[in-house]
Amino acid sequence: MTRSVAFDVFRFAVILIALVLALVPILWMVSMAFKPVAEWQATGAALTWVPRAPTLDNFRFLFGQSGSDLIVALDRKVGKPILSSLLSSGFGTLIAMSAGTAAAYGLSRFGSGANLPLALIQLRLFPPMAVMIPVMIMWAFLGLIDSWWGLALIYGIVTLPFAFWLMKTFFDDMPKEIEEAALVEGCSRWRVFTRVTLPMMAAPLAAASLFVFILNWSDYLIALLLTTREWVTIPVYMASLSSSMTGQLYGAKAALGLIAAVPPVILGLVIQKHLVRGLTFGALKQ
Amino acid sequence: MTMADARRPAPAARPAAEDGARLGFRLTLPAQILVLFIAVFPLLMQLYISLTDWSPLTGTAWPRAWEYWNGFANYVDLFNDAKLWRSIWRTLLVVAIAVPIEFLLGLGLAMLFVDDFPGKKVAYSILIAPMMVVPAVAGYMFFMLFQSGGPVNDLLSWFTPEPVALAWLSQPTTALVAVIIADIWQWTPLMFLILLAGLVGVPQDQLRAAALLGASPAQRFVTIVIPRMKAIMIIAIALRVIECLKIFDTLFIMTGGGPGDATQTLSVYIYDITTQDLIWGYVAAIALAILVVLSLGAVWAMRRMVR
Repeated sequence: MTRSVAFDVFRFAVILIALVLALVPILWMVSMAFKPVAEWQATGAALTWVPRAPTLDNFRFLFGQSGSDLIVALDRKVGKPILSSLLSSGFGTLIAMSAGTAAAYGLSRFGSGANLPLALIQLRLFPPMAVMIPVMIMWAFLGLIDSWWGLALIYGIVTLPFAFWLMKTFFDDMPKEIEEAALVEGCSRWRVFTRVTLPMMAAPLAAASLFVFILNWSDYLIALLLTTREWVTIPVYMASLSSSMTGQLYGAKAALGLIAAVPPVILGLVIQKHLVRGLTFGALKQ
Repeated sequence: MTMADARRPAPAARPAAEDGARLGFRLTLPAQILVLFIAVFPLLMQLYISLTDWSPLTGTAWPRAWEYWNGFANYVDLFNDAKLWRSIWRTLLVVAIAVPIEFLLGLGLAMLFVDDFPGKKVAYSILIAPMMVVPAVAGYMFFMLFQSGGPVNDLLSWFTPEPVALAWLSQPTTALVAVIIADIWQWTPLMFLILLAGLVGVPQDQLRAAALLGASPAQRFVTIVIPRMKAIMIIAIALRVIECLKIFDTLFIMTGGGPGDATQTLSVYIYDITTQDLIWGYVAAIALAILVVLSLGAVWAMRRMVR
């Protein structure tokens, strides 16, 4: 391909615009998170893109420390919702990865559970909204409403398709010679799986786990329907940071949004090269 | 000799194939149970409830929902529910506008990223950042951006004589536009990511050969790139269409489905009647109908793809 200077300039300009568009909404939230109350709703000429008097008050407020200009007091601090998000996403990932990895290995090596791939794709196709009535009834019956373990269970099921497909493509790619050598040595199939295969797959397992964790961490709708007060997750808690009494707590919400956004962005960058595989159910490898 | 060794039968006692089949069955069992737990049983429950007028407000436990039996009345109502149909058209409109724009922007950007250039890695990382942002948080970002005194209007004011004070989220049309812009912002990176992975796989020597033979960039794109990319493009678009049909988080935080019902998409409508009207028998009927339509659509799409 002949490459001209004009093309390089054009590409540079387009990519620059794209970068600005991608970053500005995020940076606005970062800026808002450090703004004092007086600048939250400043408009027109007073509107500030960069806080004039940057402060950590919004974060202090979330964690229940007074000393900010905010007159309202939080009836509930942010610690519990963060814990709830961590526990439900973490254990949900554990459930999805355990069941998904085992099933992926079973299908990849022994052809067991041939119905699973399609069943799991269909599971993904359904809007969660369309199965929530029975789930809400079942969860109420099992006493799982408003608990992190109830959320973890549904997260584990909802993200199972991703865990399964990712691990299946990883197992399919893995050379079988080493396993066969171990079998010849007299190891049982189970021992080969736990002592030979899984250790070799440590890196893919970690990448898939992080991917599934991001998906769980990103949920809003399910937590909105299945938690009410004690174990609300960060996004649900965030929506509660406004009322007719206080109005929108812009800065506090932005600070919380920043707290919620940081882990998945960092984890996503860590597993960058596996993203395509994960998002396309392994149909595409990078 | 350990206990485990003692218990294990002699290698010849059990054929390896049978051993494998047994382990395979056991390994897939947990996933099978979870699928049954979330798919089969709930669907049967949903079918049962959809044939009744049951609601959690009745005070009756759901197994006794037959006391409120009303046959197929819910399914008949569904066809006369103007709000439902409006929400469906609205959802399709959002998909029809957002997904093609995301596709074209993603493809365009991906084409600029095929060759190396300085800073490519950093630019790539920044470009895919929006899709990592928790959708509910993205919803709040755009809620702030589109306030009447917010930065979007501030930017627009640079180009207009009068300061712009448009209340984006309080007017039906602009609210829908804002919601679509948020979706494009968050999900163009997904298209970019997938399409770039596909473009990188297009053999460069073929492109070079075609260029030597005098094919224009447009010709090369149509005759070499598109045929090679067809499957990947279909995957990318299908993924986005499926996800966009479910659109809820970002939109719900930005507008709550309002003003009025201007941005009430299908998921928002179902959420509203689930949590406010609590007519769960009817909700179950709608949900089942959606599942049937989507499954038929998926089967049809797969048949076409195989052919």
